[in-house]
Amino acid sequence: MLQNFSYLAPETLKELYALLKKSNGKATLLAGGTDLLVNMHNHWISPECLIDIKKIPDLKGIAFSPKTGLSIGAATVCIELINNSEVKKHYPLLAEAAHHIGSPQLRNRATIAGNLCTASPCADMGCSLLALGASVELGSAEGTRVIALKDFFTGPKKTQIKKSEVLLRILVPAEMAGAKFGMRKLKRIKGHDIAVASVAIARTSKVMRIGVGSAAPTPVVTGDLNPSLTLEKAVAAASQIISPIDDVRAGAEYRRFMVKEFVEQLYGELF
Amino acid sequence: MLHNIPAKDLKYVGKDVERIDVVEKLTGQALYTADYEFAGMLHGKVLRSPHAKARIKKIDVSKARRLTGVHAVLTGNDLDYRVGLYLVDKYILARDTIRHFGEAVAAVAAETPAIAQQALDLIEIEYEVLTPFLDPKQVFDKKAPLVHPDLGKYSYVEAVFTPVPGTNIANHTKLRKGDVDKGFKEADFVFEREYTNPNVQHVPMETHIAVGKWDAGDRITIHTSAQSPFTVRNLFALSFKIPHCNIRVITPYLGGGFGGKAGIHLEPICCCLSKVAGGRPVRIQATREEEFSLLPCRSGLIYNIKTGVKKNGKIVAQKMTMYWDAGAYADYAVNVTRASGFSASGPYEIENAWVDAYTVYTNKPFGTAYRGFGHVEFSWGMERQMNYVAQQLGIDPLQFRKLNALKAGSKTLTGEEVVENTGNVTKCLDAVAKSINYGKLTPAELARQKKTGMKIGKSVAALQKAPAMPPFTGTVMILKLNEDGTVTGSHSLTDYGMGTYTSLAQIIAEVLRWPVERVRLPIENDTDRDPYDWQTVASKGLLLSGNASILAAQDLLDKCYEVAAQALRAQKCDLDHDADKVFVKHHPKSFVTYQQMAVGYAFPNGNAICGPIVGIGRYIAQGLTNLNKENGQGNPALDWTFGAHGLIVEVNEKTGAYNVIKVASAYDVGRVINEGSVRGQAIGGMLQGLGTAMCEGYIYNDKGQLLNPSFTDNKIPTSLDIPEEIDCIAIETPQIDGPFGARGVGEHSMIAVCGALGNAIEQAVGADLIHMPIRQEDVWKALNRRVPVKKAAVKAKSTVKQAKK
Amino acid sequence: MKITLTVNGKKYQRDASETKNLLHFIREDLGLTGTKEGCGAGECGACTVVMNGKTVNSCLILAVEADGAEIMTIEGEAKNGKLSKLQQAFKKNHAVQCGFCTPGMIMSARALLEKNAKPTVEQIKEAIEGNFCRCTGYQQIIEAVQDASGQLKKKEGLKRAS
Repeated sequence: MLQNFSYLAPETLKELYALLKKSNGKATLLAGGTDLLVNMHNHWISPECLIDIKKIPDLKGIAFSPKTGLSIGAATVCIELINNSEVKKHYPLLAEAAHHIGSPQLRNRATIAGNLCTASPCADMGCSLLALGASVELGSAEGTRVIALKDFFTGPKKTQIKKSEVLLRILVPAEMAGAKFGMRKLKRIKGHDIAVASVAIARTSKVMRIGVGSAAPTPVVTGDLNPSLTLEKAVAAASQIISPIDDVRAGAEYRRFMVKEFVEQLYGELF
Repeated sequence: MLHNIPAKDLKYVGKDVERIDVVEKLTGQALYTADYEFAGMLHGKVLRSPHAKARIKKIDVSKARRLTGVHAVLTGNDLDYRVGLYLVDKYILARDTIRHFGEAVAAVAAETPAIAQQALDLIEIEYEVLTPFLDPKQVFDKKAPLVHPDLGKYSYVEAVFTPVPGTNIANHTKLRKGDVDKGFKEADFVFEREYTNPNVQHVPMETHIAVGKWDAGDRITIHTSAQSPFTVRNLFALSFKIPHCNIRVITPYLGGGFGGKAGIHLEPICCCLSKVAGGRPVRIQATREEEFSLLPCRSGLIYNIKTGVKKNGKIVAQKMTMYWDAGAYADYAVNVTRASGFSASGPYEIENAWVDAYTVYTNKPFGTAYRGFGHVEFSWGMERQMNYVAQQLGIDPLQFRKLNALKAGSKTLTGEEVVENTGNVTKCLDAVAKSINYGKLTPAELARQKKTGMKIGKSVAALQKAPAMPPFTGTVMILKLNEDGTVTGSHSLTDYGMGTYTSLAQIIAEVLRWPVERVRLPIENDTDRDPYDWQTVASKGLLLSGNASILAAQDLLDKCYEVAAQALRAQKCDLDHDADKVFVKHHPKSFVTYQQMAVGYAFPNGNAICGPIVGIGRYIAQGLTNLNKENGQGNPALDWTFGAHGLIVEVNEKTGAYNVIKVASAYDVGRVINEGSVRGQAIGGMLQGLGTAMCEGYIYNDKGQLLNPSFTDNKIPTSLDIPEEIDCIAIETPQIDGPFGARGVGEHSMIAVCGALGNAIEQAVGADLIHMPIRQEDVWKALNRRVPVKKAAVKAKSTVKQAKK
Repeated sequence: MKITLTVNGKKYQRDASETKNLLHFIREDLGLTGTKEGCGAGECGACTVVMNGKTVNSCLILAVEADGAEIMTIEGEAKNGKLSKLQQAFKKNHAVQCGFCTPGMIMSARALLEKNAKPTVEQIKEAIEGNFCRCTGYQQIIEAVQDASGQLKKKEGLKRAS
């Protein structure tokens, strides 16, 4: 049972921009809905208007070119990423990260962009895309801009997206194609659960980054690290960027321990 | 009853018969309460308290009442009715005082759920937030705030329970067996420890739902997802002082219960709203979030055990103190306390025993029945204690259990003598030990350890439980013979998933010598149509209703024989029957078919005799007594079902991560009636037990507010969480007064799984665990010798006294 | 908003309220009550239906979002009153207790078998992990799916010791 709202489903970006402008912040974008509809079901939010972006062709699809890298359209759902042959070939473990999200039903519906826009500290795509040095392209009637994902998250459930903007696509740099990549996620059960702590490492011959989830107000990432960094220094780098808290899911101390443990495990796996 | 017929002579009992309700469930055609639409139906919603304890200073519903589409708004001020199963302590909606987070404060009925929600949002309440009482261990603190200052004025079942007015003790169960002081003096060692459990939610997949209709002339119709339609009727009648015959309770298909739907819950609110709305039916369907706090949960427990033991491993004395965290209302918790009190030592003989079990009111969501009825909780402590004592003595934990196990000639805590046919816990222990290769690691397991770097541990744990029920618990089965020689049954045991109806159909078929397909037991129950049954709880259904079924089938046959005797001019002793007819033994061609006699037998000339045929079987528990209030002695047990689990786990010594590799479970079920159902109960309960053991439990803040009322933060096991291997074993020591020798096994599979897991983890890596659930983090903390995890506001304490004389 | 969708091979045209989710639309507007509501928040899977070949939680989709979709619910599993092979396997292997999770569970198993005729036990477990079952402990459900795909060598049973 949901409270009253209106539903709009524009078919072009132009229409979408116009609607966003008109609604002046009162509209909420609907993609997979796996987060939004839960929040509405629980009466945590009650938007006046939902704008469904799934009918806009420009927001669909995954594209790869060796020059520009990977582009993931905002309406792309997890299962598309998981099954995409280019992703499997060049960013195989990005597919693995998407596989960590929810249950099959959720992966069939939840979008990668939605996982980022929700800006939960535990977003599974957050730490992995951060490690890959991804950026996001935002668009509005005024034009588009690209910002690094590490600058995109500004706080729990907060991002840089302005009222009139929409996330158009996620961009993963070409130089990270073929990177060694691994992810670990601490859960309370073996079935679907949100991350209690998560770590993703991506490493090429030139650079290494460690992304961490559920251990700070947003998913966080180290700076560009030397790929031949020792384990101790890598652990120190990851430990520096986190500020875990005690909550119902775990204690801060255990989160800190598991982040260190995951870095060690991934080091063992990737090096 | 019919316990000594060899299995080979049985045609339907003991066979793997498919469930009689499976086709409609597989096709989506089974109708649950939420699937019914009623003309004029309104949607009810409940406003819940955000505070654990508060005084309602002001409540203003005028705006809600004025909202278009709203037909009824009620607050506690409108309803001066108390309801309670054993202790009448709960208002239908809170009046003046809030006693727990999530308590119902007001209710509305409107034309749509959305309007009802809007109406709730328009209710204005001013609370004065008060300091809650949250720690049951503080029950003897004279300054502790009282949850029920009026406890002394409440009515209760005086023969059984002992509330202590002026305190937060809703019931104090005492048990004194032998001479405990003398026992401790004789002991070579004394070990005392304390174990804790949080509140846990049942999580039936179907949330609570009821549709109430209160017509003019105080005629009430309730459709509800309740386990016990007659209990709903009885408690409703008592609260509102309405004749029982005016109240009709219908239970459609039920989507699970596990005890959480045993009592009366949403029904009074729906009906009161309906009355205000002029008799329009009002439906309230609890949200999943409401399941956690508006509706009841399982009580928490702090269990202190002091064990006196001889060097040779024989337990000679045990003092057990239980602080049951019952929450704001007594509901079933007082009886959980009683039933746990008389079982508190597990399936072990304790010569000198002393139990004090307190049901403590706290400002938390209230506890009710939950599969195992207290045994899952105390068994956690008891089975951990058994391992602890065995280790301290340097005796193998399995040998220690077998040495102290109840066996023929032993006396239970209440002084009941165990006989051969009571069942055999030692056989259960041996069976599971064998199944898991207890006491050693196989080459494959050693190789696995090497490969994974994890440590493998093994354990066994034993369990027992008897139905917790009044000594006068009874039931009826009525079998109506149909024109075509099929039979339709009528009774009020409910089947919320267990498969008992299929077992009953097999029992009836066996006696009648008819195929199961010719026995229909409608899954829906209706108090206007069906005869009385006390409740569907306690694992008593198969035994009591099974016996009633045998008696009903025999009565039906007896009536058929009477007709045949007249029609065939034969004596009844010369008759026999098969699937189709009653015939003369010596001249089988001389017979009368069931079709011929179903609605009255007619001779060729038209003369008719006897009328339609109905068989009736009534059965009531035999020889049970109330327990002596001072020493707890007496005979409370309809039957004891014993069992054991063997568990293999692998644990990461560094992180505390663990995988359950195998669980083997054995139960002495007396006689297997339906293989698939026994296995279903065994595996389903085991996983529910693992859920309790691994991840489930309420977490509160220090204000008593529940922090995890959802599946997001109260995880339950999924298909990925089951053990890699599962083994189920049935031991069959017949229960002489059980139907074909059977006894119940509905709850038992959930008991002692927690202890088995804790013990196996400890065996693997040495993590000493005293609080459940056991999360990965808890193992890590235990491994790091940190203070046991504080989960609830309740503080877990470990005291180890090792007094060598 | 006017929507057209196909459910179990039958075309429906309805004026759907924007605020109604697909679950309630299927149950209330189409009268197909086999699909159940267990949490309303996409966690339990009781409301699982197959939409355009993929399992989804129908509680997390607006009815209007399903405009033009092809949907299968539990009511589409049995044909002409005859249980499907999958349903028969559930029946035979005691994979049903209270039955409330069963419709969603069958839908997840159905979607799995459509794309993988011989799933491994691990694949079965993963395919149904979004469907909570509180009664069975999943084991008999897994066996039923194995059986339906012709992979259960012998029906699992209870061991009987005397």
